[in-house]
Amino acid sequence: MRWAVAGCLLLAMFVFGIGVYHTVGYLKGDRNVVHRPNEVSAPPLAGTMYVVQAGAIYRFHHGSFTQITPEAGWTQPSAGPGDQLFAVRRQSNYADLYLLSSRGTTVAQLTHNFTPGAAESSHWSFYPRLSPDGSTLFYDYDPKNSYNNYQVDLAIFASPSNPGARGSVQWTNPNDLTGGDVNPVPMRSGALIYTKYSIDDSYRVHSQIWIQRRAGSAGQALTAPEVGCGQPALSPDEKMLAMVCTKGSSQSADLDVATLDATSFALGSPATLVGGQLLASPVFSPDGKSIAYLAPSTPGGQFQLWTVGSSGPASVRNITTDLGLDSTSAPVWVGG
Amino acid sequence: MPRIWIVALGFVIAGLGGLGAYFLPVFQAAVNSTSANDGLPNLNPISAPTEPFTILLLGSDDDSKFVPDRLNTQSMILVRVDPGAKQATMLSIPRDLWVQIPNQGWGKISWAYQERGAEGAVAAVQSNFGVHVDDYVWIGLNGLVKLIDKLGGVNVQVTNPVLDDFYPSDLNSGGNPYDYYRVAVLPGATHMDGVHALQYVRSRHGDSRGDFARSERQQQLLLAIKSAASRVNVADLPTLASAFNGEIKTSVGLDKMRALMSIANDFSGPNVHRIVLVPPYTSEGWAAGQSVVFPDWSQIRPLVQKTFA
Repeated sequence: MRWAVAGCLLLAMFVFGIGVYHTVGYLKGDRNVVHRPNEVSAPPLAGTMYVVQAGAIYRFHHGSFTQITPEAGWTQPSAGPGDQLFAVRRQSNYADLYLLSSRGTTVAQLTHNFTPGAAESSHWSFYPRLSPDGSTLFYDYDPKNSYNNYQVDLAIFASPSNPGARGSVQWTNPNDLTGGDVNPVPMRSGALIYTKYSIDDSYRVHSQIWIQRRAGSAGQALTAPEVGCGQPALSPDEKMLAMVCTKGSSQSADLDVATLDATSFALGSPATLVGGQLLASPVFSPDGKSIAYLAPSTPGGQFQLWTVGSSGPASVRNITTDLGLDSTSAPVWVGG
Repeated sequence: MPRIWIVALGFVIAGLGGLGAYFLPVFQAAVNSTSANDGLPNLNPISAPTEPFTILLLGSDDDSKFVPDRLNTQSMILVRVDPGAKQATMLSIPRDLWVQIPNQGWGKISWAYQERGAEGAVAAVQSNFGVHVDDYVWIGLNGLVKLIDKLGGVNVQVTNPVLDDFYPSDLNSGGNPYDYYRVAVLPGATHMDGVHALQYVRSRHGDSRGDFARSERQQQLLLAIKSAASRVNVADLPTLASAFNGEIKTSVGLDKMRALMSIANDFSGPNVHRIVLVPPYTSEGWAAGQSVVFPDWSQIRPLVQKTFA
């Protein structure tokens, strides 16, 4: 009996030693563990949201995440007809647009950008956005310059949203060798808001919110070059514009909102809702009263989901803390 | 001794055993560290540097296209840190800058590393720019990727879309190092692993600023690495250093590295000045049948004297 007790005590000491080893490892190690969204819960938000992590699309509803596509290069979902989604599937050397059901199954492949052979023969498509009337799909595409195959600039194109229809129109003319025009946001009036890049004589890069009334027109800047604004998001009533503005910083940005006159296209004085941090991809809630965006919750950490109300910093909410969301994919926030 | 004390002592010894088992590899790594002159790190409190100092950061393409001991430097960044004033300056030196290289004659400054390694690069920078370089850090392609991955990635504000249809596919040792693939780095704040961060700072074909754009992005990445490194525990430095197996070479010892890390958080945002020698400091032209960048020393040297003296 005595030997049995001694044996048990020795075993307990051994287990204790192993426990100390693992505890020290946990305390000293990197605790910024990234979870898949469907492994965590989060405060519920009104409506339904779609986010992207590691090439998979997740639906966020009633405080829980559901993975709707495999981790297979899926990115940049956006609201489609009915409860469907448009999304990009990015692969080595090319990216294509797809129409997906709300459960993530493929309804139609909309572009076929892969060309066998030389890598540079393939194309990219990014940032699909459906026009408010549902008739037109806007997206980014890289038309090639036949005189300079080093020049690859994204331009915004538009095609009929019906997968069976053909034809496309180039809407914007990007500045050469800047990377091009991105983030199309179609308006009810038929105009298009987007981000345009330019490089000045001092080799400085500028991003501006730009608006065009029709395909191929010159358009006009809504923001000044020195403010460095991009990633526009329009409120459901089209009276407010949210944007990310770097204001000369390369390590942080502000989330600004301004009123927008949808007739004259005059932008009001912007107000900063969230300032001085790396943040990306704002999107309005279906009721237009709050904005979701992506930002790290710790310096250098991965991107998490946040929301902010119209009252500014006091209303900031950190919705997730240990995910690694794709910050180049704006959340899709729809009602229902 | 009462039995209860014997049992308690047993648990204490088991706990110490667990602690020892965890920390033993750290100390072994410190002893075997690639930094020759350090040995065991001093885990006592360190004194932070107070005097200004200058470090030359060097980056090379070290894939199989190149003979290992005949590498050029694709990136040269001179960093001046003034701990007292809490000011830092980064000056990117164009790789094609046409200069007099000590003991070699005229050539691109990127060639200085070929003949005499870091010593040659330091000598070329010192003689042409009129500055004293205290230390250097050299890193290769895989070293940079591994460093960023060890840090858990970096957060970068991508200034504009970076698109390159001819990005070299030379990172892995297998395959054709002259092969290429397409890169599209989308704009905005983003978290990057090592491979994607390397794409961001190495791509140059789709930007009208060419190599100057790369220089800007390299400076940006340096700040992002500094930010990510602030999460590193100084006790983990020996383990981190030993993981690179020659992919990072430096004259900075582990104790000095710890001292530098202790002041790293003093330098961010507006007190880090970034200089890229774009025109009118330089102009593009031809020399010895090659495309080069000519320096205008009458403009560069006063700038350097002002910020690095």
